[in-house]
Amino acid sequence: MTHRILIVEDHADIRRLIHMTLEFENYEIHEAANADDGLVAIREFRPHLVLLDVMMPGSMDGLELCRIIKSDPSLGMPWVVLLTARGQSQDIEAGMKAGADTYLLKPFSPLKLIETIHSLDSLSKE
Amino acid sequence: MNLPVSASTQFDPAAADQMETIISDLGRMYQERNEALQEVARAHHEALFLLALAAEYKDDDTGVHIVRIGFLAEAMATFLGQPRAYAQLLRKAAPMHDIGKIGIPDSVLKKPGGFTQEERQIMNTHATIGADILGKSRIALFQMASEVALTHHERWDGKGYPAGTSGDAIPLSGRITTVVDFYDALTMDRVYRRAFSHETALNMMAAERGKAFDPDIVDCFMRHSEEMLALRLDLTARQATFTDLVHSDQKTK
Repeated sequence: MTHRILIVEDHADIRRLIHMTLEFENYEIHEAANADDGLVAIREFRPHLVLLDVMMPGSMDGLELCRIIKSDPSLGMPWVVLLTARGQSQDIEAGMKAGADTYLLKPFSPLKLIETIHSLDSLSKE
Repeated sequence: MNLPVSASTQFDPAAADQMETIISDLGRMYQERNEALQEVARAHHEALFLLALAAEYKDDDTGVHIVRIGFLAEAMATFLGQPRAYAQLLRKAAPMHDIGKIGIPDSVLKKPGGFTQEERQIMNTHATIGADILGKSRIALFQMASEVALTHHERWDGKGYPAGTSGDAIPLSGRITTVVDFYDALTMDRVYRRAFSHETALNMMAAERGKAFDPDIVDCFMRHSEEMLALRLDLTARQATFTDLVHSDQKTK
């Protein structure tokens, strides 16, 4: 079951909209505004799932954080859902290579977001 | 966490407010939709249980027996390693196995003593009658209930009815239901006899291993006989109802 979700997204308003959407269900939600803070937040909050923007300012982008998440078992191996801008198909390919479990195109559909989380849940062992 | 806010990542405040309001409405509609869907599922289950109760009234007991069969079948399916979703569906489907008795004339159904060969044949049609009634629905729960109704009198050795199917060709749902029905029927008081003890029922079940019953299911039942006994006693003590059958999913989540 996905209980804790971390949103890593530099755009404050998008973050807020995602946060509100996730409140449709009973999730514990945390936020980070860039990939570096995201990595800190993953260590601290141990999320079951990370919603990860690709294009972000800072020392690394979403793809790099995704690679770190998926190559370091000590981070708890959360699911990773990439948030990518429409038309950036190279991002999707690079994201899946970086180990992302799936992706959502922006502007994201709130219901699609919830459904995506549910479908990842159903793949979980418990 | 304090998040840096830069002007370049802000929406127009009025537009942002409006979007939040829309999301908030969407959230409410989402909740209401989910509640409505649950209500529909509940209505399906209740329809099924009321139908089962109708059949049960024609027979002789209070309905607790068929509720117990649901929970015992779920437990067996789980012990056999079936997925939770399957076990939960079987919990709701198994109690419907005798629904076809609705179609059996009282002169046969309630006849004291033994049946003539002709009466036995009429009695045996309850399996196909039940399967026909339930099979008219395309809802997964009714489909499984139909499968159980059709196959709960089949025997592992192929000497059962209505089709005389044997072994693994009998659906698992039917093979499980026949075992737990046997166990629960033996361990309850009947008009014509006192209940058998748990141990006696187990011995009688073991005697049918590989004959009436799937040997794997009998073995699994024996391994978990203490848990099955505890579950039966608990269900009887708290007079488990149809409502419990429908609502037990939430508890396990």
